[in-house]
Amino acid sequence: MSICKSLRLLAGLGLAAGLSALAPGAASAATDLTICYMNHPVQAANLAILEKWAKKQDINLTKTPMSYSIYLPKITQMLANNSTGQCDIIWHNDDWGQDWAQYLVSTDDIPEIKNVAEGQLEPFFNEKGQPTTVPMATTAGIFFYRTDLVSEAEVPKTWDDLVKVSQKLQKEGKVKWGYVGGMTFTNTFFSFWWSLWNNNCDVYAPAYERDNAVLSKNGWKPMTADACQVQTAEFWWDALHKNNISPPGMSTYSRDEANAIFQAGDAAFTVADSTLLGTYNDPKKSKAAGHVGMARFPQGPMSKEHRSWIDIWGWSIPKSVTPEKQKAAKALLGAMMTDYEGQIAQWEQTGGPPPNSKVWAMLDKSDPVWRQVKGILFDSAHVHDAYYFRNWAVVHKTYSDILIKAVTGAREDIPKVLTEGAPAIHQGAMR
Amino acid sequence: MSMAPVSAAHRPRLLGEKERFMLLLIAPAALVLLSFEVVPILIGMNASFRDWSLVNPQKTWVGLRHYVEVFTDPVFLKIVLPNTFILMVSSVTLSLVFGLALAHLLKRQFFGRILIQTVVLLPLTIAPVITATMMRWSFNDQFGILTNLLAVIGVPQVGWLSERWPSFIIIILTDVWIWTPWFTIILLAALQGLPKEPYEAAQIDAASKWGIFTHVTLPLLRPVIAVCVLIRAIDAFRTFDQVWVLTGGGPARSTEVFSVYAYVEAFVNLDLGRGAAAAGAGAIIMLAVGLGLYAIVNRAMEVSR
Repeated sequence: MSICKSLRLLAGLGLAAGLSALAPGAASAATDLTICYMNHPVQAANLAILEKWAKKQDINLTKTPMSYSIYLPKITQMLANNSTGQCDIIWHNDDWGQDWAQYLVSTDDIPEIKNVAEGQLEPFFNEKGQPTTVPMATTAGIFFYRTDLVSEAEVPKTWDDLVKVSQKLQKEGKVKWGYVGGMTFTNTFFSFWWSLWNNNCDVYAPAYERDNAVLSKNGWKPMTADACQVQTAEFWWDALHKNNISPPGMSTYSRDEANAIFQAGDAAFTVADSTLLGTYNDPKKSKAAGHVGMARFPQGPMSKEHRSWIDIWGWSIPKSVTPEKQKAAKALLGAMMTDYEGQIAQWEQTGGPPPNSKVWAMLDKSDPVWRQVKGILFDSAHVHDAYYFRNWAVVHKTYSDILIKAVTGAREDIPKVLTEGAPAIHQGAMR
Repeated sequence: MSMAPVSAAHRPRLLGEKERFMLLLIAPAALVLLSFEVVPILIGMNASFRDWSLVNPQKTWVGLRHYVEVFTDPVFLKIVLPNTFILMVSSVTLSLVFGLALAHLLKRQFFGRILIQTVVLLPLTIAPVITATMMRWSFNDQFGILTNLLAVIGVPQVGWLSERWPSFIIIILTDVWIWTPWFTIILLAALQGLPKEPYEAAQIDAASKWGIFTHVTLPLLRPVIAVCVLIRAIDAFRTFDQVWVLTGGGPARSTEVFSVYAYVEAFVNLDLGRGAAAAGAGAIIMLAVGLGLYAIVNRAMEVSR
C-alpha cells in the first residue's frame, strides 16, 4: 500500500470516527430515566401513563421491576449508599416514608401534589414538612364478595354474619370456602388487621393513633393482650379450625395463594387491595369475573364504627440523581398528576383510586362503581396501615409471628400467647 | 580485595520462572476470591461490631453488643440452633443413605440404567429456589398435587405448612431430594473404583451380600463417605433457599434456621449490624463443628489405611 493510500485510509477512518462520535451526541438530547418498581397491576397501569408522557417529553424510560421481597432492602441500601445510575424514580410506600425521607428530593413543586385525601402525604414528609413522593394511587383494602352467590342485602355486616353466610354457602355446595385472605408477614392486612381495626382495636394504645409523641407519652403500650385482640385471634382460630369457613393452610398464605383461591371461584369472600378489582374481573384470569362486588368490612363485637385504611403509593426521586434527571423526573411525574384521562383509565383498568382527588369529582358524576368504592373507603373512619417509627418492620414481623402462633396453637392458649407476646411489641418500638 | 558489584541482571530472583508462572495461573482465582469472599467477609465482620442500620448507617462502634444480643436471644438458642442441627444431621444422614442405595443400584448393569441415572441426577441441575417453590405448591392445601392425590383416597385437606413439624419434615425432605444425587454420583464413582480382590476373597469365604456390604464395601468407602459428609454438613449448616421459600421460617419462627435468622435481622429488620453478628455467630459455631468433623474424617482416613 502506498503512503498516499495509507493517508487516505487514515483520513477516512478519522472521518468515520468523528461522525460516529457525533451520532450519539445527537441522540443524547433525550434524557434516560430508570424507574424501579414492583410488577403490581396498579403500578403497571400508572407506568403506562408515565410511558405515554415520556415519549412526549423525549425521555427514554427504562423499567426495572423487582420482587416485593427484595425491594425494600435493595432500595434502602441503594439510597443509604448514595448510589447513582441504578434507579432515578422509585416506587414508594407509606410504610417506609420516615425511613427514606432523608434520601429523597422534596416533591412540593409538582403540580397538584396536594390533591390527595387528608393526611395522606404526612407519612412521606421530610424534616422540613415537605412531601417526598408523588402519589400514583390510593391503596386500600376492601371487602370483596361474589354477587352471583350473595345478594347485596345478604352481604355480611358482622363477623357472625360472615360465619353464617359462609357456612350456608358451603353447606349448599355453592362454594368450597367462605373467606380467604393472606395471613403471613406483610399480608397481615388481609386477615388480622382489617378485623382488628374493625373491632375497636390496634397494635398500640390509644387505638388508631399514629403520632409518635402521643404513643410515646402513653408508653408504647401494646394492645396485644386486650380483649379486642383476643376476640380477633379467636375469630380467626374458629374460622380455621372450628367453623371451617377458611382453608386449613390459610395461616401460610400470602396474597398470591388467597387470590388464586378467590379467582378459581373457590371462595365467596376475600379482602384485598381495591387495585385488584380489575384482575378479579378479568375473565382470562378469574372465574369470578363479572360477579365481584365490594362492601364494608364485617364488624367485630366491640366495633363502634366501620374503619378503612387508605394510604397512597407513590413515585419518589433519590437525592443522588443528577439535577438534570431530577428535573426530567419531576416533569414526567407532574404530567402524570395532571393527566386526568390517564388516571380515569387507570381506575377503570385496575380499581385503584386515582392519585389526584380532582379526578374523583369527575368520576363522582359518571361512575357508579367509583361512587360505591368512594363511599366505602373515603366516607368512613380511617386508620393508617402502618406506624411511622424506625423499627416498624421489626414490630410488624413480631406481631405477625405472635398472631400466627396464636391461631395455629390450642384455642385455650390464645390469651397466654398474646400476653407473652405483648412485651416484644413494646420493646420493638424501643429497640 | 574489593568485591565487584553484582549487576541487576545477575542478581538471584526471589521467585523462579516456574513459581512466577504458577502465581500467574492462580492470580485470577485469587483475585476473585479476594474481591468477592475475603473483602465482603471483612466488611461484614466490621459491620457486626457497629451500629449499622441499613436505613441510617451510623457505623458507630458498639463492640460485642450485637453478639451478646444474638447469643442471649431465646429464639436463636431454643429454636434456630436446634433446627439448624436437626436439618444438618437428618438431611446429611438421609441423603447419604439414599445416595448409597442408589449408587449400588446404578452400579449394576440393567436395561435403562443410563436413563435412570440421568433422571436420578436431575434434581441436582435445578436451582434450590425453584425446587422449593415447586414443593411449596405441591404441598399447597388447595391446589397441591399431593393434596389432590390424597383426596382420591379420602384423606382430607391438610395444612402441611401451617404446623412446625410437618413443615420442617417437608424442608428436610426437599433438602434430601436435592442432595441425594450429589451423594449418588460421588459414591457411584467410588464404588466403580474399588479393587476386586477383597470381594473375591469374601466370596471364597461364602460371605453373605449384607456381610460383604458391611465388612468390605463400607470400610473401603469410608474415606469418601467421610469427606462427603464433611462437605455436605458444612453446606447444610447454611441452608437458606429451601427454608425461606417453603416456610419463611414460619409458622411463627418455628422452622427458622441460622441463615434465615441472619437474613431476617439484616434484610427484614434492616439491621445489618445485628445480621452480620448473627452470621459471625454462625461462623464461630460452624468453625467448632467443622473442626470436630475434620477430626472425625482424619480418624476415618487413618482407620481405613
